[in-house]
Amino acid sequence: MAEIILKNVSKVFNNEEVIKDLNLKIHDGSFTVLVGPSGCGKSTTLRMIAGLEKQSSGEIWIGDQLVNDTPPGKRNIAMVFQNYALYPTMTVKGNIEFGLINKKVPRHEREELIREISEIVGLTDYLNKKPQQLSGGQRQRVALARAMVKKPKVFILDEPLSNLDAKLRGQMRTELIQLHKRLGTTFVYVTHDQVEAMSMGDEIVILNKGEIQQKASPMTVYHDPNNIFTASFIGTPAMNIIDYRLMKDDLPALNGDVKYVGFRPENILISRTENTDPHSVHLFGEVVTRETLGSETIYTVKTNAGVIHCKSFIEPLDSVRHVRLQIPYEKLYFFNNQGERNRSVTIKRIEPVLVKGGR
Amino acid sequence: MKTSYLGKLINGIGLFLIVCIFVFPFVWMISTSFKTLGETLTFPPKWIPEQFIWENFAKAWNSGPFFKYFLNSLIVSVGILILQFLTIIPAAYAFARYKFAGSSLFFALTMITLMIPGQLIFLPVYLQMSSWGLLDTLWALILPFASSAFGIFMLRQSFMQIPEELLEAARFDEAPEWKIILKIMIPIAKPVLITFALFSFISHWNDYFWPLVMTTSDSARTLPLGISKLREVDGGIAWNVLMAGNMILVIPILIVFFFAQRQIIRAFVYTGVK
Amino acid sequence: MAWHKLRPYAMIAPAIVIFCLFFIYPIGYMIYLSFHEWNFVSPDKQFVGMQNFASLFGEREFIEVMQNTFIYTALTVSLTIVISLLLALWLNNNGSVYSLVQGAVFSPHIISLVSVSMLWMWLMDTDYGLLNWFLNLFGLANVSWLTDPSTSLFSLVIVAVWKGIGFNTLIFIAGLQSIPRDMYEAAQLDESSKARTFWKLTLPMLSPTLFFLTIIGMINSFQVFETISIMTQGGPINSTNTFVYYIYEYGFRYFKIGYSSAAGVLLLFIVGLLTILYFKLLAKRVHYR
Repeated sequence: MAEIILKNVSKVFNNEEVIKDLNLKIHDGSFTVLVGPSGCGKSTTLRMIAGLEKQSSGEIWIGDQLVNDTPPGKRNIAMVFQNYALYPTMTVKGNIEFGLINKKVPRHEREELIREISEIVGLTDYLNKKPQQLSGGQRQRVALARAMVKKPKVFILDEPLSNLDAKLRGQMRTELIQLHKRLGTTFVYVTHDQVEAMSMGDEIVILNKGEIQQKASPMTVYHDPNNIFTASFIGTPAMNIIDYRLMKDDLPALNGDVKYVGFRPENILISRTENTDPHSVHLFGEVVTRETLGSETIYTVKTNAGVIHCKSFIEPLDSVRHVRLQIPYEKLYFFNNQGERNRSVTIKRIEPVLVKGGR
Repeated sequence: MKTSYLGKLINGIGLFLIVCIFVFPFVWMISTSFKTLGETLTFPPKWIPEQFIWENFAKAWNSGPFFKYFLNSLIVSVGILILQFLTIIPAAYAFARYKFAGSSLFFALTMITLMIPGQLIFLPVYLQMSSWGLLDTLWALILPFASSAFGIFMLRQSFMQIPEELLEAARFDEAPEWKIILKIMIPIAKPVLITFALFSFISHWNDYFWPLVMTTSDSARTLPLGISKLREVDGGIAWNVLMAGNMILVIPILIVFFFAQRQIIRAFVYTGVK
Repeated sequence: MAWHKLRPYAMIAPAIVIFCLFFIYPIGYMIYLSFHEWNFVSPDKQFVGMQNFASLFGEREFIEVMQNTFIYTALTVSLTIVISLLLALWLNNNGSVYSLVQGAVFSPHIISLVSVSMLWMWLMDTDYGLLNWFLNLFGLANVSWLTDPSTSLFSLVIVAVWKGIGFNTLIFIAGLQSIPRDMYEAAQLDESSKARTFWKLTLPMLSPTLFFLTIIGMINSFQVFETISIMTQGGPINSTNTFVYYIYEYGFRYFKIGYSSAAGVLLLFIVGLLTILYFKLLAKRVHYR
């Protein structure tokens, strides 16, 4: 159990600064997910924490230890690799035992640890098999067991589920979450899949081009994004980001610097009727495509403000061409010129004026 | 597509003929080795000898210190193999997994030796050995082959294919470098090592040229040389004894080949297909 | 920390030392010697510049040796490649019968060249050899395979081809099997005739293998020694004297070390040229799949 602190960490590859002055604090016992598109630096960051890459500058602290010069094996960290990295010529038992033998753990203690771990992970029947004889999910467990048996302060997982099929992935996700609850160890998890990030993490760290875009709980990131990148990274389909000028006429005057307006597809009301709610934006458009997924339908609508994606949970409107899109003012997000969220802009609710008196 | 019976028959006969072309000389060799000298010198040739003269083998074996020849061949082939393993494994690992200044230069140097066969440099090496006083010793037969560019090349390929993640996992397991090589890399590369070992052993066991050049007396001579000396008799070659001697050289390998055909073919073909 | 930097060098050191000692240095030494005259016994080596090379080309014997070597190489390589390719096409089958035949065809390759030489020496014996008996069956006269200067070189070619077919055939088969099956299916749909498929599809796909075997074959043939040493000793009348045997004789028998080294340098030059040619061709063709 340890907290991880990165202070002013940067990494240069081939004269290119891939990680720029990163400052990150990962709380002890948390399940922190590093997420972002390919090349954002999440794996690099993970590897620097692990000690597999050396940072070009800055400090890395694990617990209360400065680990800049400590080799991976001695950082009290265990890692689960994307491709499991199991030793192919050793049995499952051998794989788990290898690290213990190197640390000179006495035999009976080893046997006990292995027995304990195999039970937790469900591998007791497979101890004498070789990795080639196991299925993907089983190999995953061996990788986990190998990491757990070291009783590390931190677990590092590098996209461990990306090689599994969808069903297994869902299953393993649940198991990992339960494992985290049971062990209470700090988990640092890297993925490119925002769904995984949202469902598993206590805290999500969204990275882009080596910089942290936002670090917060999943719900905060969803409801209160810091910038356009974060707003469009989370959520499928992505948030619609419209140039303010295209929507100026549909909106009242705004009290602040606004360049872009954003709203989520699931917050759009799509209809054919004339109902007009005064506290919403109304856009008119033509349905271009319609994807019926059963539980939800995704429409692509061409409007004056551009192409807009909508997600609806009610019965799909087939053979409808012209629709009205209604977005409540509360569901609008405003972004300035630099793509940052301008939280100070609000649209006052226009209450209907009550005429006093009356006859 | 139906193949006619005639077509199949012709194909079968063709295959049989091919086998004959390659196997028949051996059959003839076996036959000759059991004959008396008189029987060999008959024309048209006699197929099956009247009696099986086993003495031919004894004569061949006793024509020289054959046991010593055999021992020398064994020591040389095994010695070469051991030294090769000791030199190529660390070198292949270094070339495969470390970045160090001059690595491409050294690797290029290694590859160049692939194109320098024994027949080219035997004279200067002979002079070298002579000046070191190692001529006519087993060292002259072993040392020049103590490493193998070919082995380094094959092993390096094999090591390079091992994913980096595996080694990173090992580092987490606090495995020291030598343990990584011994317990992880080598077991994975085992098929390549076996292939190479087969190739090396058979090549050096059969080597005639190098021992011929480097040895002048029986003390260091190897089996192929010993057998070839059976030709050097006055009054015409005793073919029956010569073939018997040849059998001693050939039969062990043929037996091994028969049993390990697939592996051996794979070993030699693999080396060719790179 | 220092050990970390030194370690790779320490790991390659043994191999590199061996290579320098027994490959690089000898080449250098041989080139050095080729510019000198030395009889191995006396301590002084006399510098003679290019004289050895001039003598080489002046010697009729050497010119013949070069001719012999070139003819031998040309015949051996062309016969071996063509026959092996045809055999490979025929035997390209994973059935057990075919595996057996492949094994039979390959067996000469793992036998030592000495044994093969002695076996064929017997088979080619003028009076009692099996080969002549075979010819007689068809009403043909005896051929003095090894003792007639007009047939001696060709006899050696026969031996080399017999021994070499196995290896080449199996490599061709491996090459054939690595050609993707769906290419043939596409050709079938395009109604390509068997001959056309072979010339336009199979052969080009096999070309790297073909080049490889040709160059290796040439390099090996240039260095032929064992068969000559055992069967003909360069004769009769110099008809089977080839490069390496010539170098051997002049070095070991006549002790003309400088002269012999010069011939060695020439051989090195030819082999080097062939190797560079191979790599150039390889680089050109490597990215066409």
